[in-house]
Amino acid sequence: MSTAETTTGSAAETAQTATRTARQPRRTPGLVPVAETLSTAERRTPEPAPPGLPPPVRRPGAFWRLLGSELGLTFRRPRNLAMLAVVGAVPILVGVALRMVGGGDDDGMGGMIASVAGNSLMLTFVSFSFLTLLLMPVAVAVVGGDSIAGEAGAGTLRYLLAAPAGRTRLLAVKFLNVVVYGYAVTAVVALSALVTGLLLFPAGDVTLLSGTTVPLTDGLLRIALSVGYIGAGMAALGAVAVALSTFTEVPVGAIAGTVVAVVVCQVLRAIPDLAPLEPYLLPARFTSFDSVLRDPIDTGTLLDGLSVFGAYTVLSLSVAWARFTGKDITS
Amino acid sequence: MRRGTFVRWGVPIAAAAVIGAAIGAGPVVAAVSGDPVLPERSAQQLLADAAAAVEKTEGPLPMSGTVQQTASLGLPALPQTGSAGPLSLLSGSHEIKVWYGEGDKLRVAMPTQMNETNLIVDGDQAWYFDSATNTATKILFDPGARPDDMAEHAPQEMTPQAAAEKVLAQADEHTAVSVTNTAEVAGRPAYQLVLKPKDAGSLVEEVRLALDGENFVPLQVQVFAKGSAEPAFQVGFTQVTFTPPAPENFTFTPPPGAKVEEKKLTAPKKEELSEAHAEEARKAAEDVKIVGDGWTSVAVLPATLSDLKAQGGEEAQGGEEAQGEDGPRFGDEADPAALIETVLKSATPVSGPWGSGKLITTKLATVLLTDDGRLLVGAVTPEEITKAAGVR
Repeated sequence: MSTAETTTGSAAETAQTATRTARQPRRTPGLVPVAETLSTAERRTPEPAPPGLPPPVRRPGAFWRLLGSELGLTFRRPRNLAMLAVVGAVPILVGVALRMVGGGDDDGMGGMIASVAGNSLMLTFVSFSFLTLLLMPVAVAVVGGDSIAGEAGAGTLRYLLAAPAGRTRLLAVKFLNVVVYGYAVTAVVALSALVTGLLLFPAGDVTLLSGTTVPLTDGLLRIALSVGYIGAGMAALGAVAVALSTFTEVPVGAIAGTVVAVVVCQVLRAIPDLAPLEPYLLPARFTSFDSVLRDPIDTGTLLDGLSVFGAYTVLSLSVAWARFTGKDITS
Repeated sequence: MRRGTFVRWGVPIAAAAVIGAAIGAGPVVAAVSGDPVLPERSAQQLLADAAAAVEKTEGPLPMSGTVQQTASLGLPALPQTGSAGPLSLLSGSHEIKVWYGEGDKLRVAMPTQMNETNLIVDGDQAWYFDSATNTATKILFDPGARPDDMAEHAPQEMTPQAAAEKVLAQADEHTAVSVTNTAEVAGRPAYQLVLKPKDAGSLVEEVRLALDGENFVPLQVQVFAKGSAEPAFQVGFTQVTFTPPAPENFTFTPPPGAKVEEKKLTAPKKEELSEAHAEEARKAAEDVKIVGDGWTSVAVLPATLSDLKAQGGEEAQGGEEAQGEDGPRFGDEADPAALIETVLKSATPVSGPWGSGKLITTKLATVLLTDDGRLLVGAVTPEEITKAAGVR
């Protein structure tokens, strides 16, 4: 009895296997079945390297060349250049508007207009206070959200990974790329505002918020400080965008996610009952750059802000790394 | 799940843990190292030491720091004033920076987003600078007036010193006073003087006053309302250093382009001070009646709705501000009429054998505006204030 059954069973199995083998070539043409994923690859003991082929040698400059090509791609992409142009145009608009408003009557001038009209350098800080709210974060979110998801969406991620660069390195390159872009955005705003200000308003000693007056060089130094601070903030936001970018293959998803997070934070800040939450929100820290305009410079607030930026960067990058190094790349 | 996944995700989890630890480091470190223990002192000893310390240094010790003031008085939401002024201190949390120099030098700065208001007192002249309006106001004291009056009155609600003095003045037989020696304020071990009203009708649960363990400078004042664990009003240093601040802090020249105004503050002369006070008190006694005593005292003053609207915002503020004397106000404030309007909107109509009126309750104060033209203010429960309204 048992013998008979076994025979029939195995016979059926053989038949099934035969049909499956027979059917296999008839799968949808053009799609290659995924025989091996990252998980199966990890479970398998690594094969010994085939003799004769030397292990790939990593040339020291490889990382920087990869970063260079990445930067070249970023700064040649029309979309990114357009965003730089837009953020660069805002200080010009603000400057011209303030010039036209401030030229008329001296009596109704508010503090901001008065300070800009009195000194060209103040236009930089006024522009920053507008742009850090939304426009600069959006520009950084676009590049950051596009970093991994964009490659995945375009189907180029697997080719990038085919090069012996390693995922961690690729992630590092992508993040540094966003950091450079973030600083570029900040610097463009600062330079555009500085040039506009110098053309439209008188240069000279800078009046700080505390009412003290400092020489022009000191004012330029303070602009440099604020650029450093805001750039670090943009880098932290970029890290968040890169992290979101590793979770999706749709770049718009990652970009929108980051922008929505920024907007939600701004809304939360407006609710007085949620004030205890505010120190932990990333966008709430962008505007603390005005600490450089106080006398003495409020280093405590700046350092607090930088540590918040650092915390967001470390957390986001570690999440991105954990996700990206363990991800199956299917596109 | 594979082992690799666990190891990988361990990294962000560890990062989150480290960041969480860094945020909570203060409390954790305090818990591990235990409470700072200062030599025990009784309330009397403590006050005597504090008084001795004040006398020795003749005025405030040279120091600087950041003061945080939090008020959750349960006031109805105040209309946005736009400009940051002393009035905005009534709700929410605020940070101000203070510098005390040798002698009569004082600087108080209130930083807000892209703006700052400064009060700089140097000897017998003071500057008030508001960057939002770009106005510098020079305040001149009358010759002969005590310049340190300014230092005491202007930042009345702001500095712990001034607030502490006020609290100390109220401590009498209606109060149970105790001292703890394990508090910590701005990272410094401190004594805490706890004042607890004995009367059940008071809205105040207790008042805690923290004095620095080393030089007895008041560091923090907290006012707890009945039935809430968080202080309804708190002002205290979050960071403090007892080194003389840089002299630049106390010099001020109006920046070019700023509007410069001048105000003369006619402070009464020293010898006239007591006389003026007595006269003022006599005058005040004519219209202001105090019902009850100690913590449950209720001030009764004649006022009608239209009076109030014309008079300005002072009475509507309620809380302890209404009891304390008003410091000089600078700059443009919110429209007082609008403020009163908002506050009155939240009032509930009440009536009883004493008549009828509008009742405004906050965490620390109750205000009753009766229809027969009386305004009752006190840090008492609504029952107490209606009881007081019955007293003619």
